[in-house]
Amino acid sequence: MTMSLADRLTAIVLGALGLSMAVGGYTMDRLEIRQIHPASIPGLVPMILGALLALCAGLLWREAARAREEDAQTFHDGSWLRLAVTAGLCLVYALVLVGWLPFFWSTAIFTAAFSAIFSWQAEASTFVRARSLAVSAILGGAVALGTSALFAEVFLVRLP
Amino acid sequence: MSALTDLAAAFALLLTPMMLFHAAWSTLLGIIIGSLPGLTATMGVALMTTLTYSLDSTSAILVLLCMYVGAIYGGSRSAILLNIPGTPASAATALDGYPLAKAGRAGYAMGLATVGSMIGTLVGILLLVLIAPPLAEAALNFGSFEFFWLAVFGIVISGQLTADTTPLKGYIAGILGLMVAMVGSEGIHAHVRFSFGSSDLAGGIGLIPAMVGAFGFAEILNAMWGRAGILATAKDKSDRILPTLSDVWRYKVTSIRSGIIGTLVGIIPGVGEDIGAWASYVAARRTSKEADRYGKGSHEGLTAAETGNSAVVPGSLIPAITLAVPGSASSAVLIAALFIHGIRPGPLIMIEQPQFVSQVGAMLILATLFMGLYGLSLTRAFVQVLRVPYANLMPIVFVLCVIGTYALSQRIFDIWVMVAFGLVGFVLRQMKYPMAPLVLGIILGDLLDKSLRRGLTLSDGDLVPFFTRPVSLVFVVIIALSILANFASVRRWVTGILARAEKRDA
Repeated sequence: MTMSLADRLTAIVLGALGLSMAVGGYTMDRLEIRQIHPASIPGLVPMILGALLALCAGLLWREAARAREEDAQTFHDGSWLRLAVTAGLCLVYALVLVGWLPFFWSTAIFTAAFSAIFSWQAEASTFVRARSLAVSAILGGAVALGTSALFAEVFLVRLP
Repeated sequence: MSALTDLAAAFALLLTPMMLFHAAWSTLLGIIIGSLPGLTATMGVALMTTLTYSLDSTSAILVLLCMYVGAIYGGSRSAILLNIPGTPASAATALDGYPLAKAGRAGYAMGLATVGSMIGTLVGILLLVLIAPPLAEAALNFGSFEFFWLAVFGIVISGQLTADTTPLKGYIAGILGLMVAMVGSEGIHAHVRFSFGSSDLAGGIGLIPAMVGAFGFAEILNAMWGRAGILATAKDKSDRILPTLSDVWRYKVTSIRSGIIGTLVGIIPGVGEDIGAWASYVAARRTSKEADRYGKGSHEGLTAAETGNSAVVPGSLIPAITLAVPGSASSAVLIAALFIHGIRPGPLIMIEQPQFVSQVGAMLILATLFMGLYGLSLTRAFVQVLRVPYANLMPIVFVLCVIGTYALSQRIFDIWVMVAFGLVGFVLRQMKYPMAPLVLGIILGDLLDKSLRRGLTLSDGDLVPFFTRPVSLVFVVIIALSILANFASVRRWVTGILARAEKRDA
């Protein structure tokens, strides 16, 4: 994706966000019932920020429209597969496993799975692959044990 | 002189076994974090904030400062050995450090970087203890009008100087940060804004979860997206690590100038160590007699870059302590940590805790001493650290991101905030939006909001005092010039005026 296309798409999102914020600020309760000074209404700064963001979005659109098509690329110098697997594992751990399973088990599973997936060598011998899995399992257990002990015993945090 | 006496007294008080122990492990951890590409100083300080909240305030602040100093210095390790800056602050270091490493002199380059970093931090500390007290005193005269412009100034300058491509993206990042700060109960009438009926949002979005997400989770995604995770280090055949005295003495002017430039860059809100390093490097190259050697393994270039980025650390603490306006992204986390530990940064600091500035200076000296000790003694051991594969390192970092953000207030909501900021932070980074103005916006949002509305209430809705009070006027002029300088037509107009004036003089 070219940077100018990405910028135009972002400008639309930011413009919508800015206008929503401005409208949100304008329609916000003005607390007349509490007889506050009209210049200190809670929606004043959100209104200004929303308008400023919409203005910046407009300028961003104009800059992007002027840029040449052969300009810089974005989201091009990495691996989508690695990104998707990393984001997937992290999201499952943070949003599903933590709070659903005891912290020790969720952490052990996440760490071991992450390490095993990214250190997996498809072409390697069975022995190397088995060793890699063993290292991942040990790492998962050690990280789960270490963080649980540190936060629960030392910092007295009630783990999720 | 009294500032230096206070500094010496504060340093003597820190020399207890427990404080030395804390300084020793946290500086070492900072160097390790800084040296690993993908882990930044800000991430280290943010994660460490969540790990130190059960310590007493002095120990916690010592740990955080040592982590900060160590991480900024640690970035030079991978910059020299791998040509990959461990932190963005070390990008300039790689220019001359890596050619030296390729020539088999990695050890000597690391020694030179260590001494440069020590000099930079010490120059910065000296300026911190000399500048901070009078600045805090001057800030006591600031009213709502001045604080409003100070917040705007921070966002504009940070947006301007940290943007990679166009300053517009820096401004947008700053405005987004300010908008995040608008969520939750506001500070004047306690009215809840943009909570959409959620009791979690009514409490506002915490800085620490947001920063751990933007600098921790986003970094993990960035690292896993970008690199294969297998690092190959340069071989070291150095005959010595400790720089020769003649080398250090030869570059004394460069060191001191870079230290001063770095500190001044640090004072500018939201402008971090990377700008300090580049500004020092460019200034040194411009005045150097060996400018042609820059980029090919120049000792002077390496010294300038390392002195410059390390001096930003104490420099960034000057506005952070005296005005509660962070000089860098890492010092923004430090401000949040200070509040957690019951210390209120701002103009009243010199009245409420007059010894605090010298205490911070003394902690930085201790961190510098440990940094020097590790830097000169563990040179080869750090090479092993760089060989830890991402597959094993990144899950540990993410576990700490999750449990660290949860531990602060024990709310699952904070984990969601961290994840959301990580995902958004990754996308914004890919699209060249700087993160520092975003963080600065979250910190300064409350100050800007309250100052504008208080100022308008005081002036009965009149905007004139915002432009006529002397300090406000200075801020307005600087802000206007910074924004106008982005327009090509304005630049052409100013250049035309200057050219005509020159012609007339000739």
